[in-house]
Amino acid sequence: MIHFKNVIKTYPPNIVGIRNVSLHIRPGEFVSIVGQSGTGKSTLAKLMFAEETATSGQIAIGGWDITRISQHDVPMLRRQIGVVFQDFKLLPRKTVFENVAFALEVSGTPNRRIKEIVPQVLKIVNLHDKGDRYPKQLSGGEQQRVVVARSLVHRPKILVADEPTGNLDAIHTHEIIDLLKKINEFGTTVVLVTHNREVVNALKKRVITVDDGQITSDVEEGRYKI
Amino acid sequence: MLTSSIRSIRFAFQSFGRNFWLSLITVSMLALTLVTVNLLLVLQIVATKAVSFAEERIEVSVYFHSGTTEDRIKGASGYLQGLPQVRDVQVITAEEALARFKERHAADATILAALDEVGGSPFGPTLVIKGKSADDIPLILESLDNPQFRDDIREKDFSSYEDIVNRIRATTERVRLFGIGLAAVFLLIAILIVFNTVRIALFVHREEIAIMKLVGATNAFVRSPFLIECFLYSLLAVGIVAGIVFPVVAAIDPGLSAFFGGESVGLLVYFQKNWLPIFGIQLAALTVINMVSTTLAMRKYLKV
Ligand SMILES: Nc1ncnc2c1ncn2[C@@H]1O[C@H](COP(=O)(O)OP(=O)(O)OP(=O)(O)O)[C@@H](O)[C@H]1O
Ligand SMILES: [Mg+2]
Repeated sequence: MIHFKNVIKTYPPNIVGIRNVSLHIRPGEFVSIVGQSGTGKSTLAKLMFAEETATSGQIAIGGWDITRISQHDVPMLRRQIGVVFQDFKLLPRKTVFENVAFALEVSGTPNRRIKEIVPQVLKIVNLHDKGDRYPKQLSGGEQQRVVVARSLVHRPKILVADEPTGNLDAIHTHEIIDLLKKINEFGTTVVLVTHNREVVNALKKRVITVDDGQITSDVEEGRYKI
Repeated sequence: MLTSSIRSIRFAFQSFGRNFWLSLITVSMLALTLVTVNLLLVLQIVATKAVSFAEERIEVSVYFHSGTTEDRIKGASGYLQGLPQVRDVQVITAEEALARFKERHAADATILAALDEVGGSPFGPTLVIKGKSADDIPLILESLDNPQFRDDIREKDFSSYEDIVNRIRATTERVRLFGIGLAAVFLLIAILIVFNTVRIALFVHREEIAIMKLVGATNAFVRSPFLIECFLYSLLAVGIVAGIVFPVVAAIDPGLSAFFGGESVGLLVYFQKNWLPIFGIQLAALTVINMVSTTLAMRKYLKV
């Protein structure tokens, strides 16, 4: 599903993002990426949905070589990859429903389809009764669930979540992780970047550890170790 | 496609409303630029009218010796009428000249008495020649040297409107240069303001734009609301200017006509007849300029 081959990313002028990473994530996997701050985890995630492009090496998503993806093709890729960030990035002036619908509106989905899809994804994140609320009327965990719901509207094959629980307390963290597991059970490949030791240890899934821009360990049913 | 267009237009209106004051300033500046352009247009029309008004009044009077036969006068008149520079030749016979003179001096009994004493008309026939433009006068004067009737001419005389025409032309030219300079300065300011407005709009919408791009909106879709917004600015500016220009033109039109001795300048009629090309071209030009400005701003601040 996700192929990295000898990927190097240097930011201008000469800052190393990642150095020489090769990895393979199979369809339906749930992979956690852990590591200390500034080691290149987010860079790795951003390369997957072409927010950044590799300096050298090769990246393929679902068999599609996106190493030199054109600006024109990026939207097509983004509609196949759901993205969740630590900072919630909900639009404060839009309701929950509108925030989710926004992702469909801007990619040209007809209104009729929007009215079908939005309630479905809100149901998945268990917020179907809060569609009329504004973000500030929700808890942090609920807000993050809206972001997850928004990332699901295109029924992505891959979900990339970069520290989705970074701002949340233990209970809400648990909610989000459960949600990601549920989504993964539906067949979506999930890539989770996290700092959270408990989360990783409880998951009992594949763990990739990154240090100084390189993969230092890659273990099925791994544990958090730094 | 249609759905996307409607959404782009909606986003554009939202953006316009959210930056209302900024939008207002932008539109005002664009309108100010257009007002200058329209003033130039009005100036052009009035100046053209003024020149032709003055030129119509340039005439050469040719006084013949008294006793010159009607045939010879007709010959001269016919010849002059045939010249391409001549617009009109009017023949004033000796009797008419006398009648005019009497009329002009009706209050002066001594002059009238003296005339009666002479008996008959002491005046010769006169030709009044109107040229097509001020530049034609020297040629007409030259043509009067024709040996066929040169010796019949007692005196030639021309009213000197030429000076006035030249002065109108010079003044118009100066005002026009100043106007063009002013319009250029306004336009430059307008372009900078549009650039800045778009920059701020992009900043205000940075989160929306980031989300749009993250969830797979095309670049065209991200851009189009801003392009539509800048078209909206152009449309509003032209609308406002048209709303100012028509009443103003309607108000000054009668005054101008009175100034030109009741002859209509046709300012209002001109604007009424040509409103579509006049404001259409202004809208098109403004839109193109704004699009360029907006595109530059987007290129700089929106990595799409
Ligand atoms: N846009 C950028 N321009 C320049 N350098 C960058 C940029 N983004 C990241 N970097 C640098 O690349 C390196 C890796 O950054 P990255 O964000 O991938 O780290 P991270 O592992 O996600 O850290 P954290 O856990 O703090 O989020 C860091 O040294 C960072 O300073
Ligand atoms: Mg990071």
